[in-house]
Amino acid sequence: MKFVDEFRNAELGEQLSREIAALVEPGRHYKIMEVCGGHTHTIYRYGIDDLLPANVELVHGPGCPVCVIPMGRVDDGIAIARHPNVILTCFGDMMRVPGGTGSFLEAKADGADIRMVYSPLDALRIAKQHPDREVVFFAIGFETTAPSTALTLLRAKAEGVRNFFVMCNHVTIVPPLRALLESPDLRLAGFLGPGHVSTVVGAKPFEFIPIQYEKPVVISGFEPLDMLQSIHMILRQLAEGRCTVENQYTRVVPYDGNPQALRVLADVFELRPHFEWRGLGFISQSALRLSSAYRDFDAEARYDVPGVRVADPKACQCGEVLKGVIKPWECKVFGTACTPEHPIGTCMVSSEGACAAYHNFGRVARDRAVV
Amino acid sequence: MRTTPPTLSELGHRCDHTTGCITCSDEGIPMRVVSAATSDGIAWCIPVDRPEGSVALDPDEVMIGVVAPVAVGDTVLVHAGTALLKLSVASAEAHS
Repeated sequence: MKFVDEFRNAELGEQLSREIAALVEPGRHYKIMEVCGGHTHTIYRYGIDDLLPANVELVHGPGCPVCVIPMGRVDDGIAIARHPNVILTCFGDMMRVPGGTGSFLEAKADGADIRMVYSPLDALRIAKQHPDREVVFFAIGFETTAPSTALTLLRAKAEGVRNFFVMCNHVTIVPPLRALLESPDLRLAGFLGPGHVSTVVGAKPFEFIPIQYEKPVVISGFEPLDMLQSIHMILRQLAEGRCTVENQYTRVVPYDGNPQALRVLADVFELRPHFEWRGLGFISQSALRLSSAYRDFDAEARYDVPGVRVADPKACQCGEVLKGVIKPWECKVFGTACTPEHPIGTCMVSSEGACAAYHNFGRVARDRAVV
Repeated sequence: MRTTPPTLSELGHRCDHTTGCITCSDEGIPMRVVSAATSDGIAWCIPVDRPEGSVALDPDEVMIGVVAPVAVGDTVLVHAGTALLKLSVASAEAHS
């Protein structure tokens, strides 16, 4: 495939790997966080880890939307789905995320009408096909996905659809990064910035990281060479004593993002005062809810939900994995009680989750080859 | 009577653990507009990097509200049924 093959070229990869090795100072440990779940997936799918010197460590951030959903929100979704007239719709990965009272998949097996969709527009279509039912879309995702929900709501309003509702769980990327940077148990050297979130928000929102925390950020693409080049760019900034926001993914990401999309988001959503993140706790202004103009579509206003905070299972260490404090295989239940088929923690659910990526691509603790 | 819930593949779910989930992850698919946008913000698109010889699927319905206007032949980056960006000629070539 033209140009995809080029971004997976083994020779260039090896050359970049040698250049990376030449940039690192022996005795210094470099902890680089990839923020996006899509990057985590690429790293393990292509074995990027094995092309890096032993003192360059990639840690996995909170960028997988289903991994950061707290159990209480899943229970709230199930409570809505149990209304006899409701059809709850959601993306596929959400189906197996365990809540305190089971997952959507288990609730479906138990009789609740829960359906998978590939876009919120599909959910709206179901609503139009079933005017006698109430259709709720369980919206998750970062700024990449929020425009889909926003455009669907604009459409529902314009078409006067009265039986379509959204339970909004959209989150924003910057507040958790700030929370991580404030975390005392994490010493990061730099960040691989999220490629497709940045198509919407641009690179500007990440400028506080070099300015306030003096860490480099490189917005990265998703092919193996994209990621190696981005790691090289971070290490080069560190070697030269610089820190700034750089954009490796210029073939897609404009520095200012998509202003049209940002305007739509501002119309349809407003910031929640606070929202709970799995493993990170409550973070101020880190999530979106429907703005007052769209209150009629807000599932949380329409239905009573328990809204109970559910503690994660004691054995599960997703919180530490999401903060990059431990590696997935260091969790007590990794690969034994917790597997992709029977996940205990959210990180084992989605293919973008760090634990699932490790599990599926056979990545466990082992010595790395010296490059 | 079965006591376990149905698996995702039994329910027709196309995500798998080797390719990732296109909707709930951060994935963006470059797609080419093949049918002009309707007045209500929908265009019909096909993936630009479909391998030659693969079965031609029906074009996908894509919301273009945040990239409008688009024309037939434009390449857009699609996530969860929504075009997030119009790709420039250079980046469209890089994906073709």
